[in-house]
Amino acid sequence: MLLLQLLVNGLVTGCALGVVAFSFSLVYSTTKIFHVAHAGVYTLAGYLAWSLARAGMPDIVGLIVVPVVCAGFGVVIQRLLYDPLAQRRATHLVVLIASLGLLAIVQNAIAVLWSPDILHFDSTWRVQTIKLVGVTLNYAQIATVVVSVALYGATLFATRHTGIGKRIRAVASNPFLAELTRLHPRRTYAMVMALASALVAVPGMLVGFDLGLQPYTGTTVLLTGTVAVIAGGVGSLTGAFLVSIVVTVLQNLSLLVMPGQWSVGITFLIFVAFMLVRPRGLFAAA
Amino acid sequence: MTVPFLQVSGLNKNFGGLQALRDCSFAIEKGRITCLVGPNGAGKTTVFNAITGFLRPESGSVQFQGRSLDRLPPRAIVRSGIARSFQNLRLYADMTVLENVTSALPGQFGEQPLSAIFRPFRTARAMRQANEQAAGILEHVGLGDQARVWTRNLSYGEQKLLCIARLLATGADLLLLDEPTSGLSGEALDRVMALLRRLQAEGKSQLVVEHNTRVVMAIADEVVFLHGGHVLAQGSPAEITADPALAEIYFGGAL
Amino acid sequence: MEYFYSYLILASIFVVLGLATNLLVGIAGIFSVSQAAIFGVGAYVTAYCLVNEVMGFLPAVACAAGACLLLNIVITLPALRVAGDYFVVTSFGIQLLATAAFLNWNGATGGASGMAAIPPADLFGYAIEDTGSMLLLCVAAMLLCCLAFYLAMNSPYGRLLRAIREDELAVAASGKPVIPAKAAAAALAGVFGGVAGSLYATFLSFIDPSSFDLNASVLLLSMVVVGGARTLAGSIIGPFVLLALPQVLTMVEIPSTMAAGVRQGLYGALLIAFMLFRPQGLAGQKL
Repeated sequence: MLLLQLLVNGLVTGCALGVVAFSFSLVYSTTKIFHVAHAGVYTLAGYLAWSLARAGMPDIVGLIVVPVVCAGFGVVIQRLLYDPLAQRRATHLVVLIASLGLLAIVQNAIAVLWSPDILHFDSTWRVQTIKLVGVTLNYAQIATVVVSVALYGATLFATRHTGIGKRIRAVASNPFLAELTRLHPRRTYAMVMALASALVAVPGMLVGFDLGLQPYTGTTVLLTGTVAVIAGGVGSLTGAFLVSIVVTVLQNLSLLVMPGQWSVGITFLIFVAFMLVRPRGLFAAA
Repeated sequence: MTVPFLQVSGLNKNFGGLQALRDCSFAIEKGRITCLVGPNGAGKTTVFNAITGFLRPESGSVQFQGRSLDRLPPRAIVRSGIARSFQNLRLYADMTVLENVTSALPGQFGEQPLSAIFRPFRTARAMRQANEQAAGILEHVGLGDQARVWTRNLSYGEQKLLCIARLLATGADLLLLDEPTSGLSGEALDRVMALLRRLQAEGKSQLVVEHNTRVVMAIADEVVFLHGGHVLAQGSPAEITADPALAEIYFGGAL
Repeated sequence: MEYFYSYLILASIFVVLGLATNLLVGIAGIFSVSQAAIFGVGAYVTAYCLVNEVMGFLPAVACAAGACLLLNIVITLPALRVAGDYFVVTSFGIQLLATAAFLNWNGATGGASGMAAIPPADLFGYAIEDTGSMLLLCVAAMLLCCLAFYLAMNSPYGRLLRAIREDELAVAASGKPVIPAKAAAAALAGVFGGVAGSLYATFLSFIDPSSFDLNASVLLLSMVVVGGARTLAGSIIGPFVLLALPQVLTMVEIPSTMAAGVRQGLYGALLIAFMLFRPQGLAGQKL
């Protein structure tokens, strides 16, 4: 039964990670920015929800309000940081360093304004559990799976069938042409940042409900997500989502044979080895 | 029969269904200027990439002075005596004109960190020698007074000359020039043409991708006509231009 | 005075690290957020050798430098093969992997509680116990590394690296080695990192994983960015300025629990400000 429990735990974590991964992929494939600060948005969302809960709001209010706030934050990042850098024709390296700087600001601001130590939500619904064929799940975990899968489905639908989605894909495939055809890449970038930031806020809160909040853990989450993005093929939402689940399930199963603190390290070790063998990723054309 | 200077035989290269080179074969002779002509997309730059090791053809081989260049990396091919220029120049814009040339001089002392750190005086001496040698090359191509200028501040014509200077610095005997005169006119064009002829007189063999028929007529000893990745004809400039079928392909019936 | 000495010692050590980061990121154009991991390996190797009395200080420095040289080539290897952004992920990954190793390899690193009571440095039987002599040692090491950096950068090798950063293809077409030159840059940066780690461990006599985490790598990057990329002056100015920042912060009233967060947040803000308004740093060239 331990095996099944680990499998399910991996699935739950994987769903949350999947949202982080495909929202990052949206930004990366559209704007070509390696948006490390995405981890900051992810972390910030949990803390905002925590404060709303402390102020007496039910958790569902946070789940609805915080993504909107984070969407705004994403637009601000695009307008005040990435746009000016793009106008200055900053190199890739410069943009990346700036994004890293923003991540440092957000994480440390959280540590200063809230707490550098772990925070837990006070609400009781999230720790209630149900037992299914020997597997114990709490409500927070169930919410994580349901909401993540729903977000994945909705995003997939939106990028394929709505005007905004088509526009995003057009700009992603050729920003120069998009500029000529008046698709306003800059406006599209801001929309993508808003969408991705709203999306990443949700797992930020859901994981917080389940495991509590820490200021600096988001970096590891995001990087594991980027591993999934690359292995799943850059630009493929489904690839990013599915590989995320595979990675976390494997990480959980590895607990059977080695202590947990090594699993993240091993993940990256495998990734580095993988990149040496297949430098272009798993699904990239030769 | 003597071994040709450069022998390209049976090259094939496919880019995702597009046959860029199709059984491409030709030979060039030492000391001559051979022009590689053909319509856009004929595979001229692909031939350059295949000869210089930047691209691995699916089949076929390249022999230089009787030795096979197949599967050699670009570095080894340069050392064996073939150097190529690029259509889009690829100069180091943030370095001086002189540095663009010194950076291509072969076998310099102090090119590894250990020798640079532990033998500083020998390195400094080597750099002085390299600078003198490079200054000589710049003088030769007519950029002698621009040595200390930032490369990005050169005129387009001067940048074209600098590309040739950088090729000369490698010490190669065969120069592969990818459109050395494109975008030039008037005096700048004449300067490049005069330089190519002077280099020929000094013994540098050249394979030149060229679009300008007037330039081809003026400098070429031999013309290789490429179409669809295949050599359609090879001969003297007069023979090639006299062939109405080739003109039809080249100018698409405009003549 | 003691306090000021400590500042100078730490700044000298970070100048050596700044040179390493500048060499990789600024000059060779290889993005790296794993230089703190290399620094850490240098410190842990030295500490392990000295605490367990495996060997003396100078051989330990040599071991640390050698280990870091090899390790830095290995971890930079993906950058020689992998296209830009993918290497960013591997570089982050290596840093996280190293932190996991420092934290969990209890037998060698002492885990989260770190290693204490590291003996002081000694040179030919003369123990360097007081801060004054340690300062002399560190400044001497810094000057040697600066000299090495200067000589390497103002040589055909330095020119080759600059050319590679501008256009790898053109370098290959000139018959020059691209990958060996980059690997050599990683090796040199590794040696600097190892030496800095040795000095750091013996100076503080205590090390723990928090000194070598991602934040430390970001700090190194900030030092190069603030000082100025691609110049010797930049690598020297950056550490001296950034390490003075915490001293300035002590004059402002903030609770000690917040100090680390405020400091690191400020480093982040500096990164952004310089990238936006002065990408060439105080005394460098544009990145």
